[in-house]
Amino acid sequence: MSDAITEQFSAPLTFNWTLSYRCNFTCSHCYSRDEVAEELPTEQIKQVVDVLAKQQVPFINFGGGEPLIRKDLLEVTRYASDQGLNVSMNSNGWLLDHATAQQLKNAGFKSVGISIDSAEGASHDDFRNMNGSFERATAALDALHAVGVKTTMSSVISRINFRDFRSLLDLARKHKVTQVYLHNFKCSGRGFKNREDLDLTPEEWRDFYVEALQVKNETDDLLISFDDPVIASLPGYAENPLVKGSSCGKLSLHLRPNGDITPCGFIPLVVGNILSDDFEDLWYNSPVLNGMRNKEAKGKCQGCGAYQDCLGGCTARAFATTGDLSEPDPHCWK
Amino acid sequence: MSILERNPQIVWRNEKRREAQVLQKLEEGGDADEHGTVILLISGMMHQLNLLGGRIWNLCDGSRQQEQIVDALLAEFDVEREELATDVDEFIQDLTKRGWLSYV
Repeated sequence: MSDAITEQFSAPLTFNWTLSYRCNFTCSHCYSRDEVAEELPTEQIKQVVDVLAKQQVPFINFGGGEPLIRKDLLEVTRYASDQGLNVSMNSNGWLLDHATAQQLKNAGFKSVGISIDSAEGASHDDFRNMNGSFERATAALDALHAVGVKTTMSSVISRINFRDFRSLLDLARKHKVTQVYLHNFKCSGRGFKNREDLDLTPEEWRDFYVEALQVKNETDDLLISFDDPVIASLPGYAENPLVKGSSCGKLSLHLRPNGDITPCGFIPLVVGNILSDDFEDLWYNSPVLNGMRNKEAKGKCQGCGAYQDCLGGCTARAFATTGDLSEPDPHCWK
Repeated sequence: MSILERNPQIVWRNEKRREAQVLQKLEEGGDADEHGTVILLISGMMHQLNLLGGRIWNLCDGSRQQEQIVDALLAEFDVEREELATDVDEFIQDLTKRGWLSYV
């Protein structure tokens, strides 16, 4: 099947790669804490890297689980970097001291993101269910900066932080972070179970994005990024993303610890396995991926003037709450 | 000073399927100048190079001077050397101004 995405892209630009679901934290919103999957041994992980290099996937981003739990993280990163892949990761920072930061740099990490959900230490620690985690996370940012690794900060927007996101930006500035990702809340895993306590109402999301976009446009000392396609339905939204709607299955794919490929970490639909299936066949012909690339407006999306820009918003959230990839994003305020 | 090299900070990729489609279109006598066969990712933006631009980009690997790039392309493109050299020069001047290529 030919479509605009696969006609343009012969492979995703990014693989978000969960090497392990193991984690030293038990965060309230975690999509993966209850997931279990067999982990590939180092040699097979290198085979996966070979596939990605052959397909000229430019970016891999290790997530998790906590990537630093894997003892072979540095070896795998060195192997991938030597093949020209741009490697980054997201970590909670707990295991990332100065010596580790230097090792990450030496292994070839292009950037490392640290998850921080509140500028208030106690609030972050409570959300992450780990006393002292705020201190360790900010120390990790400082250690990475000291050794010359570009840092990013990932903050999942939820009820605990949406009113004072500016303080997160100030925290990022204080620790010399170059880019802040204000991630939208996903109703997956624990995030689904705890969504009543953590998720915002559609109207609150609208108001948050109106305010946050204004701050972003007025900010020139810090990159501020959102990854929420529902923003495109805001009047006057002028950003020009590479693709419309969710980027999952179009610009990015997700790898589970056993090599299974899913459209993103929040959509538990396995489209194949990177080691046992032909990647190009999956990329071009997977019914799931093609379904995500060619969504049809359903429910209130039908006839909505914003649909051509947002394409129904976040596909993962729609799937998590309705079981249908094409249903409207539950965060949509229209 | 005259060897051409890509900016190593730029992430890029040959789009194989698109290239095959362009080559087929050309073979059928069509025009494919507007179709990108190489993508460049720069500061979160994607740029595309057409077939000739993509070929030049691939050849700017730090081992060739501009004249050698023209020589290499002559084997593939059915065009007068002078015309090709002009196109190559125009492309290279544009990309060096942008900082995407440089002479080393």
